[in-house]
Amino acid sequence: MLRIVCLLVAGAVAALPADAPRKAFPYAYDQHDFANGLRLVTIPTDYPNVVSVFIVVQTGSRNEIEPGKSGFAHLFEHLMFRGTAAYPPEKYQATLKAAGAASNAFTTDDFTAYHTTFSKEDLETVLRMEADRFQHLDYAPAVFRTETLAVLGEYNKNSANPISKMFEVLRDTAFERHTYKHTTMGFLRDIQDMPNQFDYSRTFFDRYYRPEYVTVIVAGDVTAEATRGLVEKYWGEWKRGSYRAEIPAEPAQAGPRTNHVDWPTPTLAWVAVAFRSPAYTDVDKDQAALDLINFLGFSQSSELYRKLVIEEQKVDLLGADDSDHVDPGLFTVFARVKKDADIDGVRDAMVATADGFKDQLVPAARLEAVKKHLRYGFALGLNNSEAVAQTAARYVELRRTPETVNRLYEVYDSVTPEDIRAVARKYLVTDGRTIVTLTGGKAK
Amino acid sequence: MKALAMAALTVGMLAAAPGPKVVTLPGSSPLVTFRIVFLTGAAEDPAAKPGAAALTAAMLARGGTREMSYKEIVDALFPMAAAVTDQTDKEMIAFTGTTHVDNLEAYYGLLRSMLLDPGWRKEDFQRLRDDAVNFLQVSLAGNNDEELGKEVLYNAIYAGHPYGHHDVGTVSALKAMTIADLQQFYKEHFTQANLVIGLAGGYPKGFAERVKADFSKLPAGEKKTGAVAAPKANHGTQVTMVEKNTRSVAYSIGFPLDVRRGDPDYPALLVAQAYFGPHRESGGRLFARLRAERGLNYGDYAYIEYFPRGMFLFEPEPNLARHRQIFQIWIRPVEPPTAQFALRAAMFELDKLIREGINAEDFERTRLFVTKNVNLLTKTKSAELGYAIDSDFYGIPQYNTYLKQSLAKLTVEDVNRAIRKHLRSTDLQVVVVAKDCAALKAKFLANEVSPMKYNSPKPPEVMAEDKIIESWRLDWKPEDVRVVPVEGVFE
Repeated sequence: MLRIVCLLVAGAVAALPADAPRKAFPYAYDQHDFANGLRLVTIPTDYPNVVSVFIVVQTGSRNEIEPGKSGFAHLFEHLMFRGTAAYPPEKYQATLKAAGAASNAFTTDDFTAYHTTFSKEDLETVLRMEADRFQHLDYAPAVFRTETLAVLGEYNKNSANPISKMFEVLRDTAFERHTYKHTTMGFLRDIQDMPNQFDYSRTFFDRYYRPEYVTVIVAGDVTAEATRGLVEKYWGEWKRGSYRAEIPAEPAQAGPRTNHVDWPTPTLAWVAVAFRSPAYTDVDKDQAALDLINFLGFSQSSELYRKLVIEEQKVDLLGADDSDHVDPGLFTVFARVKKDADIDGVRDAMVATADGFKDQLVPAARLEAVKKHLRYGFALGLNNSEAVAQTAARYVELRRTPETVNRLYEVYDSVTPEDIRAVARKYLVTDGRTIVTLTGGKAK
Repeated sequence: MKALAMAALTVGMLAAAPGPKVVTLPGSSPLVTFRIVFLTGAAEDPAAKPGAAALTAAMLARGGTREMSYKEIVDALFPMAAAVTDQTDKEMIAFTGTTHVDNLEAYYGLLRSMLLDPGWRKEDFQRLRDDAVNFLQVSLAGNNDEELGKEVLYNAIYAGHPYGHHDVGTVSALKAMTIADLQQFYKEHFTQANLVIGLAGGYPKGFAERVKADFSKLPAGEKKTGAVAAPKANHGTQVTMVEKNTRSVAYSIGFPLDVRRGDPDYPALLVAQAYFGPHRESGGRLFARLRAERGLNYGDYAYIEYFPRGMFLFEPEPNLARHRQIFQIWIRPVEPPTAQFALRAAMFELDKLIREGINAEDFERTRLFVTKNVNLLTKTKSAELGYAIDSDFYGIPQYNTYLKQSLAKLTVEDVNRAIRKHLRSTDLQVVVVAKDCAALKAKFLANEVSPMKYNSPKPPEVMAEDKIIESWRLDWKPEDVRVVPVEGVFE
């Protein structure tokens, strides 16, 4: 679950089912495995006319294991729009346009998702065209070199924001061997070298754009039976691959680390305090308890927010990121600090809040309020078919099924104040901590 | 189509007089969405108080009430996972929120107190004023070259006009603002005459009437005429170069547009925009020629309505309705060596659009796109409600119906006539965010040839086009090009 709690905004619609125990993911979905390893999840919703297709490839920057090749999962997000023999880019774009479709893609540490939302009468067209590019992508070296420049353009537009830099340095400091050391964009030097890596790009495609890595999610005004037939028709011939990446395991951190970023232009300071966190699980309580700590300790309703943002007014943004990851990642608390002189005090307050969970049991009523917040927040977010598909995609990339949502929410329900304390003692430890600060320069 | 017709029928209005207007979208969903919109905004900031409207709205949505502190409100909303968000634009201030019907009474009780019984606490004021100043100086001017360029463009086009400052205000005015200024703004503008209450979802019978009665406690106020003057015309292109230590060069280009929703040429211009530069879609002409063919940047788009925060959004927020709009081109940051060529390429494409228009095939495809894509704009109940309120502002039927009906009658000739009538490639406002603006300015003024060097071979038609673009004359006059330090843009 993505948890940048300071930015939380409620959405609309979607039902909390009345029967108890209530399922967090309330839709009756159909899950089907094809012989080639491809999985289809069809989620009929009651939102009329619109259909949203999310194609999840379980390949992200985590899979970029070779030195000098960071950013390739994300580069593929771009290359996939570069056409096939049957659908050159102009024809692909023209077809999408005639479908009134909104189409895009995104890449994370662990997966790449291609999404298209459109009117239901165009379902077959979209599934046919998507199947074609996943199986027959064909781009020339010249086109490849041009597209690498668009990636550099993306790096450029992100580079104005200091938080991109801070998270880049945080990862680089916190990890030694695991590929979470680099961001999804990749290192700038690798992006600049991308034009020379055409052959490697074909290797990357051959390895990962295979049915056993892919789940097709179709949500909206659809039926499971018709959708299954269309996917079989257009995706059934896709050949399974055999590649498995050896992702280097990260050694245990042996002591606290710090780093600092000098931002060249004026900006408010940032402080990030990160701890090693477990891999996603819907069985053990570790990740669920950390998710709850995130809200207990660092959300708008936390004591720390009251102190730093509302009363002392030393901080204008406070939050925590506890994103689900396939492998052990980071639990990061971050704050934007109004005056540089307050950086140390803010940092100490963030650390003290984390430490507090190791000493004291959280009040049961407070824990229940957080659990209620999570349930309602999740339901409020499922307010249209695209949101349903996107939510499913964020869990499908971890366990290949939306059922993991229901299991995770059952684990949330089972977490006790004692569990919170035990998990805090296990993960919020000084030896596993990395602190990065960022300060701005002076105006000219 | 059946669902559309049903949706069209369900948009309702409570009996008009007396009291505030109520727009309803009742349904069976267990969620209830509120959009409480006041027809006022930054255009009505007092002359010496830019930012009064937005800070007043922030005090209501992000401050305490007379009875509850902000912290108590946050804690009360938290278990519901609900919030009250505020959005201030030139002529609309919208407060929005959604709650599960389980929590409707508790949520509505808070929302009502926040909007009708604000606390005006000093500590909330200090925090929110800091937020506003930091938004302008840090988040926008400091950390986001693209949104910065767009907002500076609006300020340049509307200089000396009620739209002529950022919705959040100016730094100096915010620093001089007092709570009394905000109370005065609230008293004058948060009136029944300015209020539109929007409600959607599964609220109980009689609820809409209750909300209307509660909000009838606001002062009656007077209906506005709604007229907003046109901005001053500029002769010759005017250029604002924002000097900033940044990796790349960002552009925003535009001019005032005399067309808004409901005007006869709006559907035609919408098709032209959706052909030329649909937001964040790879199917537009600008995107195809600048990014896909030449790799100049990450994307290139065009607009006929205000679309703030486009970096973070795929669809525009509703309730940004305005009497005056601009045509705008957004060129995402380019590498400095190609900066001159990129701007010329955009000018070449704009000029070509005006001279040649769009062909019949592109017209049909784009018309189909707009006709279907409108369903996606209103895919949530909250958006549908927002569009319904905007449609009331513009005096048009429900937006989906309005577009589908007018697009069905549209011809390619209509589109090309509207392009020729309303779009232009001269007398523009151009905003450039870059490092070393003086050198870039000199290059532009000299009209130096700026040939492109590619990292791969290009088709002959692209090379031929490049020959024209590389020496495309901009003919800017030195006195029309001003360089401003980034630190001062929102002072």
